[in-house]
Amino acid sequence: MLSIRRSAGAFVAVAIGVTLVAAATLLLASGRPRVPDRLAYAAVVVQSPDAGAPADSFAPTRPWSAARTAELTGRLADVPGVTAAVPDRTFYAQALVDGRPPATDARREDAHQGHGWSSSRLGGLRLTAGEPPRQAGEVVVDRALGLRPGGPVTLLTAAGPEPYTVTGLVDAPGVWVADGVAAALAPGVRAIGLLVAPSTDAEEVAETVRGVVGGDGRVLTGDARGAVEPRGDARTRWIGRQVLTAMAALAGFVTVFVVASTFAFTVAQRRRELGLLRAVGATPRQVRRLVHAEALVVGATAGVAGLLAGAAIAPGLGRLLVDVGFEPATFQVRYEPWPLAVSFLAGPAIALLAVWAASRRAARVSPLEALREAAADQRPVGRLRVATGVLLVAAGAALSLGTATSDDARSGATFALYAVMALVAGATVLAPAVVGPVVRLLRSPVRRPGGAIGMLVRAGALTATRRTASIAAPVLLTVAFAVLVSGMVRTTTAAYAAGRADNVNAGWVVVPDRAPGLSDQAVAATGGTALLPTTVFRSDPGTPPENRPLTALGVDPAGFAAANRALTVVAGTLNDLRGDDTVVVPASANRQPTQPYALVFADGESVSLRVVAVVTDDSIRGDLLLPRSVVRAHDPSALTSAVYLRDRIEPPLGARIVDVSVWAAEADRAEDRLVWLFTLLLIGVSAGYGAVAVANTLLMAAAGRVADLRLIRLAGALRRQVIWLVTAESALVVLIGALLGGAVAFVGLLSIRAGLAEQVGVPVDLVVPWSVVGGVVGLCLLLAVLASALSAWRSLSSRTGRRA
Amino acid sequence: MTTQTVTLTGLRAVYGRGARRVTALDGVTTSFASGTFTAVMGPSGSGKSTLLHCAAGLDRPAEGTVTIDGRRLDDLGENELTRLRRDRIGFVFQAFNLVSTLTAAQNVELPLRLAGRRPPARDVTAALDAVGLADRAGHRPSELSGGEQQRVAVARALVTRPAVVFADEPTGALDSAASRQVLRLLRGLVDDHRQTVVMVTHDPTAAAYADRVLLLADGRVVDELTGAITAAVVAARIAERETVPAESVGEASC
Ligand SMILES: Nc1ncnc2c1ncn2[C@@H]1O[C@H](COP(=O)(O)OP(=O)(O)OP(=O)(O)O)[C@@H](O)[C@H]1O
Ligand SMILES: [Mg+2]
Repeated sequence: MLSIRRSAGAFVAVAIGVTLVAAATLLLASGRPRVPDRLAYAAVVVQSPDAGAPADSFAPTRPWSAARTAELTGRLADVPGVTAAVPDRTFYAQALVDGRPPATDARREDAHQGHGWSSSRLGGLRLTAGEPPRQAGEVVVDRALGLRPGGPVTLLTAAGPEPYTVTGLVDAPGVWVADGVAAALAPGVRAIGLLVAPSTDAEEVAETVRGVVGGDGRVLTGDARGAVEPRGDARTRWIGRQVLTAMAALAGFVTVFVVASTFAFTVAQRRRELGLLRAVGATPRQVRRLVHAEALVVGATAGVAGLLAGAAIAPGLGRLLVDVGFEPATFQVRYEPWPLAVSFLAGPAIALLAVWAASRRAARVSPLEALREAAADQRPVGRLRVATGVLLVAAGAALSLGTATSDDARSGATFALYAVMALVAGATVLAPAVVGPVVRLLRSPVRRPGGAIGMLVRAGALTATRRTASIAAPVLLTVAFAVLVSGMVRTTTAAYAAGRADNVNAGWVVVPDRAPGLSDQAVAATGGTALLPTTVFRSDPGTPPENRPLTALGVDPAGFAAANRALTVVAGTLNDLRGDDTVVVPASANRQPTQPYALVFADGESVSLRVVAVVTDDSIRGDLLLPRSVVRAHDPSALTSAVYLRDRIEPPLGARIVDVSVWAAEADRAEDRLVWLFTLLLIGVSAGYGAVAVANTLLMAAAGRVADLRLIRLAGALRRQVIWLVTAESALVVLIGALLGGAVAFVGLLSIRAGLAEQVGVPVDLVVPWSVVGGVVGLCLLLAVLASALSAWRSLSSRTGRRA
Repeated sequence: MTTQTVTLTGLRAVYGRGARRVTALDGVTTSFASGTFTAVMGPSGSGKSTLLHCAAGLDRPAEGTVTIDGRRLDDLGENELTRLRRDRIGFVFQAFNLVSTLTAAQNVELPLRLAGRRPPARDVTAALDAVGLADRAGHRPSELSGGEQQRVAVARALVTRPAVVFADEPTGALDSAASRQVLRLLRGLVDDHRQTVVMVTHDPTAAAYADRVLLLADGRVVDELTGAITAAVVAARIAERETVPAESVGEASC
């Protein structure tokens, strides 16, 4: 009873969907933390205590102080089976080549990290040339930089550029200095690596080590040592996970949709046949089972095809993700069993979900429909359909409102994804009800190309509302998604930039160039107002979690107050932010001036500070204000993120100067770029899909229209006219879909704009990237026109099918 | 003693609403006795097909009742009705009778398979042979002529040995030799197996195979012929009723 030709469309759609799901889940399963090469030889790694932060904040762990490190290292070295215990000291350091930081892989966090030479043992590093560093001023660098042992090199650290001598070369990114230098630059330690005697079992050693460390750290072995990977890598992988999850979810959702409309369409086309089955004795249940069985066969075979294709493209897609920055450079594809199992089930599951509505319709076909013409489908919408559609649209509107009012970009994006899904589903469900009025609206433009054609086009679209709707649905889906998501991302970016520029009272901003931050020397050279961010840890007595990480900004109070328009002091005065024990807290910290406030700094030292002022929460882009000197004293590797200036100056080494609007626009550029790429990826997935679905439906519809077309041709139309008729018809349908989709999305965008304006406090312009929208509509139009012209041409020239 | 296999009481059938409302049947009361052959005749649009659909339980009338084998159809749910149809009724449509993806033989065995039975191959061959298509068993509908398709449909209606066979112009697309074959077959069902046959036709010659002729006009039974029925008698009776006889009788159905 299965017809290959009839099921080809659904097959292709399911196969593509499963391909994407398979590739995405494979990559998801592959994305696991990797033990840094630097620590590869340390069978046991002791990590400093976890910061009590949510997993997606990527805060570093709370470091041990210098004294505690020395004590721990000594005790760990005495554990039986441990041959050496080496603290892993990591700080900011970058070798300058030709007076600038080298344009090496800027995304590799370890390319601008320095370490003490003793920790090279933990990674089994060998010198490829020269000697290890023995005293201050000596350094071992990456061979890839092209420097020679004995030659001079300028090393950029948080203090500024300093002259060093290259004593040796290794085959790894980063720089290695003498242990004494490393201890000064990185007084706080976050990991101690243990080398274990060859004959001993790492797990046994780890057990003993746990007894030594107690609650002051985590003891890791095997793959668990991945927890000490660079925070940047963890963050990149987290972003990748969001991208892949969204891709898998979207692909699955869109597939169900496209396949559902394909099945609905096949059922509509087969009404006569189904009626005949009913007439000769098939019960509604049997008809339903028949449709289910067909879907299951299509789903299972397409699922296997998609699974194989997905497994095949996964490595390439993985490399692409690394290239664009959605996965860390250390990412590798691994073929785990569970994604394969999930994808294997995805095909039948998608097909069964998709066929649900269609099978209900099929079961309701009455025996007498065998006698009726298939195309005239006069009852466009049932009450259940309208109710479902209205509910979905309402849910979509509510979710859009959620997007607009959420103050967190991540949850906003999630809301947006769900909003679009709901709106699209609702609009598609309602489409048959809306098609009639819209076609009537579009009447005039179509009337022009010769009365007969216009009449036929309109009549065709109107009588077969459901056919029209199932062609328009994928376009609607794609366009709505493209407009809403791209518009939302662009509008949000612009809104935040406007808000940022509005808050800063400065003409120019000095920002780092090819470096993670600005050194003290660079800051001093500009003479402007600088922010020196660092991570500190706070344990509020009685309120978990312990070691909550906070972003503290080291500032000079007068300059900060002058440059920050959003600053509102609630209590105390900012001018008291002096000395080595003062802090300014936001109102939400619930502290009053003169109360004590204890913090653990990046060097692991616990210090009791005094609150001198309280500011409103939105005054600062951080959690605390500290005197700049305090931050520097406790965090030798802290880097300045930006310096605000009245007037333009010549930028110092490793820096650029930009005007404030440019700065505002690019302040989150790296993030914005990722978000935009993510957006384009999602739009690409759905657009490619929509276009395939349109072509697919049109090709299927063509099969049912051969007779019509021949009749029109016999009635005296030229072949050219018939092809024009078919093309105009599909163009019209694509236009209907684009219009509906655009309208739905625009409503969402308006609410988002309102929410944003409220949030950033300045008027927000609606930014819609028309090129993206145009591209999406163009793609659908192109494929639609091609598919319909091609099939019309083919059916008019074929001489075989006499039962046409 | 004759029992009434199918009884129709006060049937009314209405299509459409408002201005497009059409009364296809307007109070039809009649019955078809077991072991009889009835021909239903009348001008195009007079409600013949509608009558057959209602009697076979394919459609539900607006008013009135249909009783088959003593069971009132309006008491039955969709599933029971389907089962009754599958077991007791054979139907040959005016057009579009076959599932296009199945071969002739598969089309013939379809009702039995739907009932969960597996028909012996020889029954299927016999049924096809009876309509002269034994050699076309493996062909799909697209490879059969219109008349051949019609005959496959007749074979399918016979294979379940139903109590009643309803046939809507089964000979409409056949030449006279093939027509005779089908009509003899239907006659044989009545004579040899005491099955009941109700057939719509426009052809007085076909009607001559029947024991009884019902004449329909505007949804009402307007005349009934029994006894010795010949083509000439039927044609004469129709001519009597028609105001413009030549046109109506000669016109093929829609
Ligand atoms: N589905 C329908 N919707 C609306 N009107 C219908 C429908 N089916 C039949 N009719 C109308 O009901 C009336 C009776 O139709 P029916 O098919 O029973 O006629 P018939 O006697 O079988 O004609 P023919 O000899 O042409 O087959 C006609 O006027 C027809 O137009
Ligand atoms: Mg008829």
